[in-house]
Amino acid sequence: MENNTQRRKERIDRGIKVRTDGIYALMSIRELSYLLLPRLVLILGMLALPLLVPGMYWQRVITITCIYALLALSFDFLAHYVGLVSLGGAFFVGVGGYMAAIMNTTFGLPPWLTVPLAALAGGGICTLLLLPCLPLRGVYFAIVSLMYPLFVARLIEALNILGGTDGITGIDGFSNRWAEQYFIIGILLLLLFGVRRLVNTDIGLVLRGVKDNDQAIRASGMNVTLYKAMAVYIASVMGCLGGACLAHIYMWSGISQFALDFSILPIAATVIGGGGTLIGPVLGCLILVPISELLREFGTLRIVFYALILVAFIIFRSEGIMVYGQRKYQQFERWTRI
Amino acid sequence: MLEATGLMVFYENMLALNNISIRCGVNQIIGVFGANSAGKSTLMYTLSGIMQDIQKKEAMAGGERITLMGEVRYMGEDISGLKPSQRARKGIVLCPERRRIFNESSVLENLKIGGYLASSSEARNTLEYVFKIFPPLARLKKRIGGFLSGGEQQMLAIGRALMAQPKILLLDEPLMGLSPLMQAELILATKGICEEMKLSVIITEQYARPVLPIVDYAYILENGSAVMEGSKQELMDNPDVRSAYFGIEESYE
Repeated sequence: MENNTQRRKERIDRGIKVRTDGIYALMSIRELSYLLLPRLVLILGMLALPLLVPGMYWQRVITITCIYALLALSFDFLAHYVGLVSLGGAFFVGVGGYMAAIMNTTFGLPPWLTVPLAALAGGGICTLLLLPCLPLRGVYFAIVSLMYPLFVARLIEALNILGGTDGITGIDGFSNRWAEQYFIIGILLLLLFGVRRLVNTDIGLVLRGVKDNDQAIRASGMNVTLYKAMAVYIASVMGCLGGACLAHIYMWSGISQFALDFSILPIAATVIGGGGTLIGPVLGCLILVPISELLREFGTLRIVFYALILVAFIIFRSEGIMVYGQRKYQQFERWTRI
Repeated sequence: MLEATGLMVFYENMLALNNISIRCGVNQIIGVFGANSAGKSTLMYTLSGIMQDIQKKEAMAGGERITLMGEVRYMGEDISGLKPSQRARKGIVLCPERRRIFNESSVLENLKIGGYLASSSEARNTLEYVFKIFPPLARLKKRIGGFLSGGEQQMLAIGRALMAQPKILLLDEPLMGLSPLMQAELILATKGICEEMKLSVIITEQYARPVLPIVDYAYILENGSAVMEGSKQELMDNPDVRSAYFGIEESYE
């Protein structure tokens, strides 16, 4: 055994990463900028995006991207911090969209009021409807949350309520396109940092405990179903918010808002971006939604390319972009002798 | 029969096994003793090849980087690169820590799954043999695995490992959480299995006292390094071992 010829790759936290973990972060510009740089790149990048892209079409793509990002954020939060795999993105969007539409057309509320109201009330409705499957563990939540959007869409179609197949038209749009974009980008950034904060509070710890071992949480005297319901409420508020914005952007609300795209694309974005990082899924949406727009020229082949990209990611980088990026940013590698 | 030289395992930068070399001869019982975090389970995973599986999964998920080094030879053949399933086919069968029985299958099904690779006559004979050495299992044939008691589950886990027709049986902490009575029973059964089925056994345990009487040779691990090795008698006579692993305090004159 020639031990001196053997080497292995060592992974070590960067010194600056270790220093910025503590109070020392406040002591020097270098440490401060190490912490602030990634956040600033994200915030300024998002704010600059509408100014950088060419034309109205791509500005609209960015708004849609942000709505998908909200859904992906809510999916990642539920899946990786509470352990509930939700396929209900479409349900959240649909409920939020219809709520905003009804509030706007029937009661004449302006968009800046309908969006938050629709989000809060819609979140309540979604949580109530999903409540029966919360005490169960396993695939039940995923199945039920997948069935609801199909169920509601067919119900509206068959009973011809809420505008039937035509949907609800005549909804007020945002005052101008800049307000529309910055409103949604602002909400997205706010929720992104908000959820990041939430998962590190005490409640966030309990939620992660629910994912890891719900029996231990129960044994610690906490009501698992209650905490799950809280998490579902938070996630569905995010989804409904996206739906409400969507209704005002298209000035129309219809059963296509229950389309399964809203459930599936956020999951794909989470896979690409890196689950459990919260920011990863947002980045995943920023990559996937524009790609799917670009691929529109190929017609139905679009789905083929799309699927190939996803499969390639799962095979070669199943950890996700963000997990990989964080590691490269915070750690360095070197060969060491054994 | 099984010979490992210079085994080193790193979990990221933490050294879990430090240059361990162990040998197991034909029809021998080898003991590996050590406290928690000494590296016993890591050693078992490395010998059975499961470590390579863990390594691959961690790499895919972007988790810890596991570095494996050293050589495992089985009947003179280098098997360091083989997958766990290939090693099991060659006769190196692990009975994992915490039993890991199939909770939702019945006792009989559990055993049948274990005997999947064996020919049907071998499986039938071994099944009979397992029921002979562990009579409670024959009585509980139809019971769902998850509803067995700890001792019965351990019997089932060993039985399942035997069904795979091992030539070397790796028992990882088989006595964990069992009453002293059950421990004695299991150790006796292990001894019997070794003699009747003509196989070798490597057994790890934290507390050496119940196991040491049946082993031929033993290694003592501490923080990933082998601090001592020797035959049963050598270890029994060593005052450090007596106090640390038997709970016998020497009286100082």
